[in-house]
Amino acid sequence: MTQTETKTESEEWTPKIIAFLCNWCSYAGADLAGVSRIQYPPNIRIVRVPCSGRVSPFFIIKSLMDGWDGVVISGCHPGDCHYISGNLVARRRFGIIRDVLEFFGIEPGRVNFMWASAAEGERFAVLIRKATKIIKELGPIKKF
Amino acid sequence: MGLEEDNKKIEESMRETARKLLEDKEVDAVIGYTEGTLPMSSMAMVITRAEDVDKLIWNNYCYINLATYLVPRIAQLVDPEKGDLKVGVISKGCVGRAIIHLKVEGQLNLDNVKIIGIPCNGIIDRKRIEKEIGQKEILEVSTSGNEIIVKGRDFEEKFAFDEYILNVCKQCKVKSPPNVDDACVGECQEIESVSDDYSDLAEFEALSAEEKWNHITELLEQCTKCHACREACPMCYCNLCFVDQNKPIWFGKTTDLSDIIVFHLIRSIHLVGRCVACGACTSVCPMGIDLNLLIRKVERIAKDRFDFTSGLSSKVMPPMMDFSMNDSQEFMLEED
Amino acid sequence: MSEKILNKDQIGKFYNEFSDYNFYAPVNEKGNILFKKISNPDEIVLDFLNSKIPPKSVLFPNKEILFEYEYEGKDVIIKERDDLDEKYVLFGVRPCDAYSFQLMANFFSFHGNCEDEIYLKKKENTLIIGMGCNTPKQTCFCTSVGGNPFKKEDSDIFLVDLGEKYLVEAISDKGKELIQKMSWLADATNADKQKAKELAKKAEEMITTQIDAEKINNILDENFKHPIWKEVAESCVGCGTCAFLCPTCTCFDVIEEHDHYTNKGKRIRIWDTCQAPLYSMETSGHNPRPTKIERCRNRIMHKFSYYPKNYDLTGCVGCGRCVSYCPANNDLRSILKEIEQIES
Ligand code: SF4
Ligand code: SF4
Ligand code: FES
Repeated sequence: MTQTETKTESEEWTPKIIAFLCNWCSYAGADLAGVSRIQYPPNIRIVRVPCSGRVSPFFIIKSLMDGWDGVVISGCHPGDCHYISGNLVARRRFGIIRDVLEFFGIEPGRVNFMWASAAEGERFAVLIRKATKIIKELGPIKKF
Repeated sequence: MGLEEDNKKIEESMRETARKLLEDKEVDAVIGYTEGTLPMSSMAMVITRAEDVDKLIWNNYCYINLATYLVPRIAQLVDPEKGDLKVGVISKGCVGRAIIHLKVEGQLNLDNVKIIGIPCNGIIDRKRIEKEIGQKEILEVSTSGNEIIVKGRDFEEKFAFDEYILNVCKQCKVKSPPNVDDACVGECQEIESVSDDYSDLAEFEALSAEEKWNHITELLEQCTKCHACREACPMCYCNLCFVDQNKPIWFGKTTDLSDIIVFHLIRSIHLVGRCVACGACTSVCPMGIDLNLLIRKVERIAKDRFDFTSGLSSKVMPPMMDFSMNDSQEFMLEED
Repeated sequence: MSEKILNKDQIGKFYNEFSDYNFYAPVNEKGNILFKKISNPDEIVLDFLNSKIPPKSVLFPNKEILFEYEYEGKDVIIKERDDLDEKYVLFGVRPCDAYSFQLMANFFSFHGNCEDEIYLKKKENTLIIGMGCNTPKQTCFCTSVGGNPFKKEDSDIFLVDLGEKYLVEAISDKGKELIQKMSWLADATNADKQKAKELAKKAEEMITTQIDAEKINNILDENFKHPIWKEVAESCVGCGTCAFLCPTCTCFDVIEEHDHYTNKGKRIRIWDTCQAPLYSMETSGHNPRPTKIERCRNRIMHKFSYYPKNYDLTGCVGCGRCVSYCPANNDLRSILKEIEQIES
């Protein structure tokens, strides 16, 4: 692909992002953002999971393989997990997934982890905006 | 003193220990190495009689991690009827670490295992030597002083031992097994933690994402997905590996580049806080792929994130079996 | 037809004669000799012991698409392979590997009762240019299993390395026709032929491993439950490298790659091995070969007992790859020797 082509393409291009949201917090947070009419980019497609601890590395890697440009994973704040420690276990996992992905040359910005509670519609929207911006800057995923 | 003398001495005391264990009925069997049939090879062997200890050998080609043979699915081999056999395992540092880590993960009972410790001075990287020799057949290999002498039909080449050991061995800080729960006999050490500088990774880590990707794909592209690395790895003991899962199928089973990458990527993730840096995976790969880079990174992640080194203690929980409120979360997305 | 001479500096010219073929030859990739399709004769490695992955990978690749399909509404449109008429030439195949194609073809046709169209078509369109082994490896034992380092019958054209040049002999009709067209090839002198004969004799003498395949076949019949299998399995790590690198191993798995986004898919065949526990796992969860003992046994049995029963030939060509590359150094030669010792 030549340089100019990339340019024109990325002008119209918006990323496709898959978001794994915990049922007990972020999913409701997304809902709240919607009900409160807080704007956030329409690029995300939501998959509801019972807890951020449910998100296995496969979800993330399979998504990237299938051509999603980025992944967002959001759960309850540490200490607030409905299952008490699901998100703490997940946090350890996320750390290493991120490190290994980076080591393999997959930009760390493609996979974004965040905490957002059911009451934080505003925070949810802000973070999604931020994630979208990061992923947009990285451009379309090509590798897999 | 030269290598052979060192090895001979280790071999003798190792045989003595094994003989004693078998004679005193402290163990039912000893797993060790025996002479291979090819230059630069060795073979795993199970002996059950004290007379046979002289078949055990020790040299710098004992690359298999014997802990592999202890994992539940393989242990049946020793005696399916008797079940709980007591086994002595000839253990260089990484074999000992693997055994201890397997105990921590609940895969074996240390009461049934005797770690017969020996100090290891490094395993020779036969793949690298083979590559250097190229398309000539190696017929005889010997060591003299600190040199490896490789002979064939009409050539003789010398390699510096320090240079031609496995890259993981160059970085190894645990040459003889840690003594945990008094499971160790022979040469063992008290060791709580190790420090490591990972300067060998610096060059790679400084690369851009694009360059890293290119490097890794080039490294792995010849992988035939034979899974020898997994089979030889003492830590890959799952009864149903993610590779073989088909409900659901997470990624393809083919040798497409993406499938190869995903295999090694997920395997690396699974090995964080578990890999004992024995280099068995590299030694067995039929395609001569050097997995050193991944091993070192996997070690580094465990050390940097969780200050954990696998197989040193039976008390500390491995990072992926544990969690804490205070874990670092610098990678989480936050509002500006 | 008389033998010809091909100078090593004429390889390029020789290569050009095969412009309508897919030309596969040994190349050196990161220190591994592999058969790859080449587009430049300079890539060919002429000086090699044997390839790491056997040339079976050309006709029976690690991954092969059997057909592709696409959903249109409720209909399925199947796209069959349309490249089966392509012609292949395999350059520099060692006699053991050349012979292995015959064994594989037996499997893929099963006496004409069950024909694998893809393999057999490809095989039919393949021209094998064999090359004698001047220096067999210490792991070779082709002479015990129906071959020898200069066996030319399985090749279409056979080359003997005489140093600066090759002695070229056309074996099959296909080969003869091609060589006839290459009028630029010089005729071989008697001295050349003599030298080739000497090389053949010398090479055969270099092979020291002898096994008695027939005896083993008979012994195996009686010893399905012999304790030796436990011994064999003891040091095996169960990786299956032996099968992946074996020129006669034909087992495969058929998988489906379906893309849910586009509703298109492929049916693919990939290499599999009887050394993998999943290979024999049944849907019920029962596995008739639950441990390495049964799996190791199956490998030996298949090559030295079942195959001879089905096709009257030993299912091993003695290339020694599994001997050289077994991670656990579970040496096939020693296993066979031990089996020979079993008293019947
Ligand atoms: S042993 Fe080597 S070829 Fe086999 S799966 Fe591992 S890296 Fe790939
Ligand atoms: S990944 Fe390799 S180095 Fe690490 S424990 Fe497994 S075999 Fe040893
Ligand atoms: S319930 Fe929300 S992260 Fe566990």
